[in-house]
Amino acid sequence: MKTKAGIVVCAIVVAVLAALPWYGNSVMVQFGISVLLLATLAQGWNIIGGYTGYASFGNSVFYGLGAYGVAIAMVQLKLPFWVGMLLGLGLAVVFAALLGLAVLRLRGHYFAIATLGLAFIMTAIVSNLEIAGRNIGLVLPLLKSDLLFYELALALLVLATLTVFWLSRSRFGLGLIAIRENEEGAAVMGVNTTLYKVLAFMLSAAFSGLAGGIYAYYITFIDPVGVFDVALNVKMIIMAVFGGPGSVLGPVVGAFVLSTISEVLATKVTSFASMFFGVVIVIAVVFMPRGLADFAERFRRLRLRYFAENVRAHRL
Amino acid sequence: MSLLAQVLVSGVLLGGLYALMALGLALVWGVLNIVNLSHGALIMLGAYVTYFLFTGAHIDPFVALPITAVVLFVVGYVIERGILNYVIRGPMFNTLLITFGIEVVLTYLAQLAFSADFRAINPSYAGSNFALAGVTIPLVQVAVFAVAIGLTIAMWLFLLHTRIGRGIRASAQNLVAARLYGVDPKRIYALTFGIGAALAGVTGGLYGTVSQINPYIGGPLTAKSFAIAIIGGLDNPLGVIAGGLVLGLVEALTALYFGSTYRDVASFGVLLLVLILRPKGLLGRTT
Amino acid sequence: MSASPNILDVRNATKRFHGLVAVRDVSFHLGRGEILGLIGPNGAGKTTLVGMVNGTLAPTSGDILFDGASVRSLPAFRRAHLGIGRTFQVMKPFPGMSVLENASIGALFGAKGGERNLRKAREQARESLQFVGLGRRIGQRADALGGPDRKRLELAKALAMQPRLLLLDEVMAGLNHVEIEEVIEDIRKVRERGISILVIEHVMKAITSLADRTFVLHHGEKIVEGPTDEVLRDPRVVEAYLGKKR
Repeated sequence: MKTKAGIVVCAIVVAVLAALPWYGNSVMVQFGISVLLLATLAQGWNIIGGYTGYASFGNSVFYGLGAYGVAIAMVQLKLPFWVGMLLGLGLAVVFAALLGLAVLRLRGHYFAIATLGLAFIMTAIVSNLEIAGRNIGLVLPLLKSDLLFYELALALLVLATLTVFWLSRSRFGLGLIAIRENEEGAAVMGVNTTLYKVLAFMLSAAFSGLAGGIYAYYITFIDPVGVFDVALNVKMIIMAVFGGPGSVLGPVVGAFVLSTISEVLATKVTSFASMFFGVVIVIAVVFMPRGLADFAERFRRLRLRYFAENVRAHRL
Repeated sequence: MSLLAQVLVSGVLLGGLYALMALGLALVWGVLNIVNLSHGALIMLGAYVTYFLFTGAHIDPFVALPITAVVLFVVGYVIERGILNYVIRGPMFNTLLITFGIEVVLTYLAQLAFSADFRAINPSYAGSNFALAGVTIPLVQVAVFAVAIGLTIAMWLFLLHTRIGRGIRASAQNLVAARLYGVDPKRIYALTFGIGAALAGVTGGLYGTVSQINPYIGGPLTAKSFAIAIIGGLDNPLGVIAGGLVLGLVEALTALYFGSTYRDVASFGVLLLVLILRPKGLLGRTT
Repeated sequence: MSASPNILDVRNATKRFHGLVAVRDVSFHLGRGEILGLIGPNGAGKTTLVGMVNGTLAPTSGDILFDGASVRSLPAFRRAHLGIGRTFQVMKPFPGMSVLENASIGALFGAKGGERNLRKAREQARESLQFVGLGRRIGQRADALGGPDRKRLELAKALAMQPRLLLLDEVMAGLNHVEIEEVIEDIRKVRERGISILVIEHVMKAITSLADRTFVLHHGEKIVEGPTDEVLRDPRVVEAYLGKKR
């Protein structure tokens, strides 16, 4: 439950983050951009995975479509950035609607695998498209302003989080949660489950697409493998799940915490960082499978027994 | 016409290997309800084990397969008993995440130990072919196919006719009842996962003789194994053979008519079609 | 709104699952404001029949008329909007949501598409919950409830939808005598609001206390129909439950 105090705290945090380019160095700003984009992806996933209960392993598809929308618009069609963003957004949302209608009737792990398959297919298709530069990719015009990209990414994350906040207390959001908790039960009570699922998927895709668009212009060069990266899917899911799926701030906190620890380890023990994610996931899934949000809520009461109870509940 | 025949034969031979590849995954999925995202990493490890037995101890790769199987069995047993056991009764999504974590760790360790260089297993007979009705067939590919299909059928018989095999199947259907009959779930689960890992390991060894090895081959192979298992249908133990052959042929024909860059599109396209039209798979039972 | 005297008209409904015919050529009607009882031994096809009415299952053949208009091709959620509410024998709560939120879903999405305003919907939900006696538990998680409370929640959810037709599938199963009396009283009050009710039960007291008419399913077919006390004395019904007299 977000109280007025909580909202004030968040506003302060956002203000502090927005001011970073002025008190931080350029490395921090760049790190910030990548964390903010990842957090947006995690938040976007939260809508379809956390709230609706459909764990998509293919949101990287919409990220890539957003990136290519901007790239194609600016490079091939010589259009300004914001038009590219609209194109990327449009591509992501339309694809989400079409693909959603096809795969959202699959349940659980079948849905996960279908979306994973989509990610692979998209990479392969785009690698063969002339307008997308095939597998060589596209080089975008250079804009040397990390400040702009940073603030854009922050604004996008705030927008995504506000949307999830609205979701958590709206009729639409409650319908999504009902679908997650018991889809058939929701349908017999009057929830148009197909429509709602597709809308949630489209909303999720919208944020992923916009994040991809910002990324493309920021990084100046995109190619299919880099932008439709399948591992990106798992990263955003882990951040959302670690932070607390189905909560408003969970994915954001998860993204910040995991990215920061990973970055710190990377500077101290260079190669260990890549293994870090793996070890953290294993430990987190065993001891705190419901994420940080649940941990924060129940640890106060249970202390160390929290971990023991999670293990006892799930072990053979 | 002869080109088409050539391609079809290639596809079938590849299909055999694919069937074995998916078998370990399907077994673990069907019995333990574990969606093992580290399956590809186990294949990769098997490939390296066979590779080092070949280059280090000069053991013929096909002879080295049983050793590889044992090594990977132990690895799998330890992973299941030591890690997976702790989350196995939780939501299935957790096994997805935790096996992904294991995959990351294994891939990283492999890269640390073996470097990212490409390797291949090239026994002396690697280049020999024989001709059959105008089609050139590489000897190694036939051997791979024979071992793969043979092992798949052996596995099927094992599950049906041995005591342990029946214990595994019983646990898959009803753990509580199986327990009442004296099945020790911890042992059976670890055993099953170990067998799955062993099968993956053997696949890796075979894979190394027909393709190149590096620490990163795991990911795409896991994805393909899923595709095959689903296309074939998880209910039927012989479904993996159907799935493997379908995928092998689809890939070969796609490479012929559309170019090899479209192979992945075709494989996952078929997967999507199957999921949308016939989710139980080609050989799955429709309830 | 048609002039039909019946709120529900089921005509020659048949449901086939591959080889098995679960419901065979069953016809019945439910008048406005009436309480109709449906009884029969386990496996007779009662739940399957009800599933065809609320939209969970599609009939293999036959028609379902609600308020004179056919609904057989409408998905379940549309039938909910029209005013068909149902409880399930195998209950379908939303475990992670609170009791209040559970009932609120009914208010938000039920009859006529539901209430758009969250506050009003919560009020409606609260009313339904108080009606069934769950007023004190509205803040609890649904999965923390005990057996009888879960049954009450199931009923409250359906009532929060403000249905015109209520299908009750064994709401009394597992309740003790006191609880059964309470639920019987609740159902009477529901009828007083003008809601038509179909009651599936094994608890005969509920049928005798509530149902004006009753019909009996056995092996998927309707074998007897008529005033409740006559039906319950019919030898064919006794035979269906107890088997042939030797």
